[in-house]
Amino acid sequence: MPLFRRHRAGSGNGGLRLYYASDIHGTEVLWRKFLHAPAVYGARVIVMGGDVTGKAVIPLVEEGDAVVAEVFGERERAATPEERAELEHRIRSNGMYPHVMAATDVERVAALTEDERETWFAGVMRETFDRWMALADERLTDPEVRCFVMPGNDDPPGVDTAIERATRVEACDERVVGFGAYRMLSLGYSNLTPFNSPRELDEDELYTRVEAMATEIDDQSTCIFNLHVPPYDSQLDSAPELDEDLTVVTAAGQPKMIPVGSTAVRELIERFQPVLALHGHVHESRGATRIGRTLCINPGSDYHTGRISGVLVHLNRDRADYQFVIG
Amino acid sequence: MTTEAARAGTAPGLFTRRATGLVREARTSDALFYNVMWASVALAFAFAWLLYGFFYLGSNMVVAFLIASALGLPGAFLYAMLSQIMPRTGGDYVFNSRSMHPAIGFAGNFSFCFWLAIIYGLYTTYMTTYGFGAFGRMMAGFTGSTGWLDFGNWFSHDYALFITGTVAIVVSAAVFIVGGLRLFLRLQVVTFFIYILGTFLLPVIVGIFQSKTGFAANFNDYAANLGTNNAALHLAASAKHAGFAPTGFGTEITLKSVSVFWYVFGFLYASNYFAGEIRLRKRAHLLSIPGALVVAVVFIGVLFAAYLGVTGYVFNGELGFANPAAYGFTAGAPAYPEIMAIASGSWVWGAIMIVGFALGLLIWLPQTMLLISRSMFAWSFDRIMPARLSYVDSRTHSPVIAIAIVTVLAIGSTAIYAFTDWFSTLAVLLGLSFTLLITAIGGILLPYRQRAMVDNSPYARRIAGIPVVSLVASLSVVGFGLAIAVLLWDPGSGSSLSANPGKLWLGLIVLGAGLAIYFVSSAIRRRQGIDLSLAYRELPPE
Repeated sequence: MPLFRRHRAGSGNGGLRLYYASDIHGTEVLWRKFLHAPAVYGARVIVMGGDVTGKAVIPLVEEGDAVVAEVFGERERAATPEERAELEHRIRSNGMYPHVMAATDVERVAALTEDERETWFAGVMRETFDRWMALADERLTDPEVRCFVMPGNDDPPGVDTAIERATRVEACDERVVGFGAYRMLSLGYSNLTPFNSPRELDEDELYTRVEAMATEIDDQSTCIFNLHVPPYDSQLDSAPELDEDLTVVTAAGQPKMIPVGSTAVRELIERFQPVLALHGHVHESRGATRIGRTLCINPGSDYHTGRISGVLVHLNRDRADYQFVIG
Repeated sequence: MTTEAARAGTAPGLFTRRATGLVREARTSDALFYNVMWASVALAFAFAWLLYGFFYLGSNMVVAFLIASALGLPGAFLYAMLSQIMPRTGGDYVFNSRSMHPAIGFAGNFSFCFWLAIIYGLYTTYMTTYGFGAFGRMMAGFTGSTGWLDFGNWFSHDYALFITGTVAIVVSAAVFIVGGLRLFLRLQVVTFFIYILGTFLLPVIVGIFQSKTGFAANFNDYAANLGTNNAALHLAASAKHAGFAPTGFGTEITLKSVSVFWYVFGFLYASNYFAGEIRLRKRAHLLSIPGALVVAVVFIGVLFAAYLGVTGYVFNGELGFANPAAYGFTAGAPAYPEIMAIASGSWVWGAIMIVGFALGLLIWLPQTMLLISRSMFAWSFDRIMPARLSYVDSRTHSPVIAIAIVTVLAIGSTAIYAFTDWFSTLAVLLGLSFTLLITAIGGILLPYRQRAMVDNSPYARRIAGIPVVSLVASLSVVGFGLAIAVLLWDPGSGSSLSANPGKLWLGLIVLGAGLAIYFVSSAIRRRQGIDLSLAYRELPPE
C-alpha cells in the first residue's frame, strides 16, 4: 500500500520539489504567500498556472477627504488614511481591486459598453500586476529558486508583457522551459467557456499549439505539461452546470456537476504520456488522478478565503508523488 | 451590465468583468432545501413517540422540542458564519484543522464519520420495521389479509432486519457505482416529494379532519382485522397492568426528553457550498442554516398539533407500557406513520404515509454514504489516508473504494442493531455532538488563530472588543454543551452516565483513535518524504 511504502529517493536525495498553484484571481495576499513557498515548503521551482488577475473592481468613491465603498453589499466609509488602508487591504484580500474614483467616473464606467469596460479593467489590473512583479523581484532572493508564471484564460492582454519584463519571474506560456532534468511546456489558454473570457481557443487550435511544443521534447518521461485547462472528464474538471443566464443548475438542492475540461488536453496527455500534468481553471475540482502513466493534478482554488491552494510535487527522475497544501 | 448594485438599481458598488466562475449565488432556497433534507425530522418525531412511554412519561414534548431548538440555534448561526468565512471548503474537518490543529480537525471528523457509520444500522432496522413491516401490517389491518400480516411480521425477525438492511445498503452502493451522483440526485428529488407528502402533508390533513373518537374506532377496526377485538380496551388494560397511570407534566422529565429532539440538530448544518466566488452578501447562509432550523420547528410543531389532536399523550403512554400482542400488534408497537394511517381510515393514504417515511430513511443511506466518502476523500487528499481511498471510477465518477468501505461498515452496523442491543436508538448522539462541540470551541479560537481570515470576512465585527464569531461560538458551546449534559443525564439517551457510562468512554476513545491515526500516519509519511504538517502550514501573508 502506498501509505506504507518508503521512498527510496525523496526530493532531498537527488529529486526536485516543485510547488504549483493557480487561479489566485488578483488576491494580493495569495501572491505574497506564493512568493514565500520556496522558503516554507523547500520548493526549488514554483509555478503559477494562470488566472492571476482579479474579476472585480470596487470603486472607492471620493467624498471630500473620505472614500465610500460598498463591500459585501454594505456601505462603508473610510475617513482617515488608516481606515482607508484597512479598507483597501480587506478588498484586496478578497480578490478584488479597490480603485479610487470620482462619483462621475463611476457613472461613466457604468455606462461603458462591455468591451470598453474590459479595456478599463485591464488598465486597473495591470497597475496591480506590475507591482506584483516588482514584489517578486524583491522577495525571490535565492538564485537557486526558479519562478514561472503564465497568464490563464481570465487574464487580459498585457499580463504576459508584464511577466516578460520581470527579472526574477520567468515567462513560460507557449514555450518549453527546462529545470534540472525536466522540461516543461505551458499553455494558459482554455477551451471555450460560457463566460467568453479573454484567452480561449477551440479544441483543434488548442491541440495544435500544445502538440507543437510537445514534439520538441524527446524524452516524455521527464516532461511536464503545465496546461491551465484540465483534461476532459478526468475528475479534475467537474464544475457546476450553468444555464443561459449563468446561474448554477441545481438538482435536489445540490449543484449539478458536469465535466468542463478540454478533450484536446486529454488526447494530448494520452498520446504523449508526460510524467506530470499540472492544471488549474476549475476551482472546485481539486484532485489528482492518473491518465496512463501521467500524474495529473489540479490543486483547486479557494482564493476568496485568503488561503492559497497548492500542491507540492516530489519529482524523482520519471516518478512523481504529490502532496496538497493550503497555505 | 454585471454590476451587482446596478442590478438592484442603485449606484454601482462593484464592477465585474468577463471571467470564468462569476456565477450568481445559488438561491437561498436551494441551500435551505439541502439542509432540511439532512435533518431527519420525521424520524425524530417517530422516535419521540416510540420512546415517550418507555422513558419520557410526563414530559411536555412540545416544550422539550422548543428547548432543543433553542440549544441548537446558536450553533446554526455559527455554522452559517463558518460557511461564509470558509465557503466551499467543506465542514468541520476544514474548520477545525484551521482554527485549532490538523489532528483535532481529523479526529473530530473521523469521530463524526464513525458515529454516522454506526447509526446506519438504526436507519436500516427502522426502515425495515416501520417501513416494510408496518406496510404489511397496515395492508392486513385494512383488508384482513393474513398474507399481508405474515409478510409484515416477517420483518420483525432479527435475520429479516439484517437481510433487508443489507439489501438496502447494497442497493444504495449500487446507485453510486452504477449510476453515479446523477442517478442519486434524481432519486433524491423524487423521494423528497413522497417523503414530504407522506410524513407531513397527509398526517396534517388527517389531523385536521379526524377526532380522537374517530381514531379509536378506526384503531379497533384495524386491530380486529389483525385478530384482536376491542383493541383500545386491551391496550389500556395491558398498559395499566404494566404500571401505566396518566400523569401531569414534570419539569425534570421534560428536560430529559430534550435528548430525543436533539436528533434533528446533528444533521442541520450541511450547506457550505452555496457561496458565489465573490462574497457579496451574507444572507444566504444565515437564511439557509438557521432557516432550516425554523423549518424543522414548524414541521414538527405542526405535526405535534395534528398527531396529538388525534391520539393524545395518554394513548402514547399506553403504547409504551402495554404488551403489543395484547392489542393485536404482535410485531411491536406502531410508529406515527402507521398510527396516522390508521387514523386516515384509508390504505391508500396509509401506504403513502408509510412509504414516504421509509423512503426518507432509505434515501438517507446514500446521502450519508456520500458524506462519509467525501470526508474520506479529504483525508486521502491530505495524505493522512492512502491515495487509493480517493480512487474514482472513470465511467461513473464514483469513489468506489470509499463506497465499498462505507458499505462494509454499514452492513456491520446493521448486524449490530439487528442482533445486539449494544446501541440504543439515541446512543450515537453523544459521539456526533462531540464534533459539534469541538467545532464550537474552534469557532471561539478562529478569530485569534486566523485573524486575517475573519477580518476579511463579513463577520469582522467586534462587540466590546470581542469578535462576534467568538461570541456566537461561545453561545454554541453553551448550547452544544447543555445538549451533551442532557444526553449524559437522561437514561433514555442510551449514553447516560448512570445507565450507560461506557458510551462516554467509547466516544472519547473514538476521538483518541482519530488523534492516534493522524500522528501515526504523520510518522509514516515522514519516512516517505512527505511532511503532513505542510498541508496545513500557514504561509506568511505579508
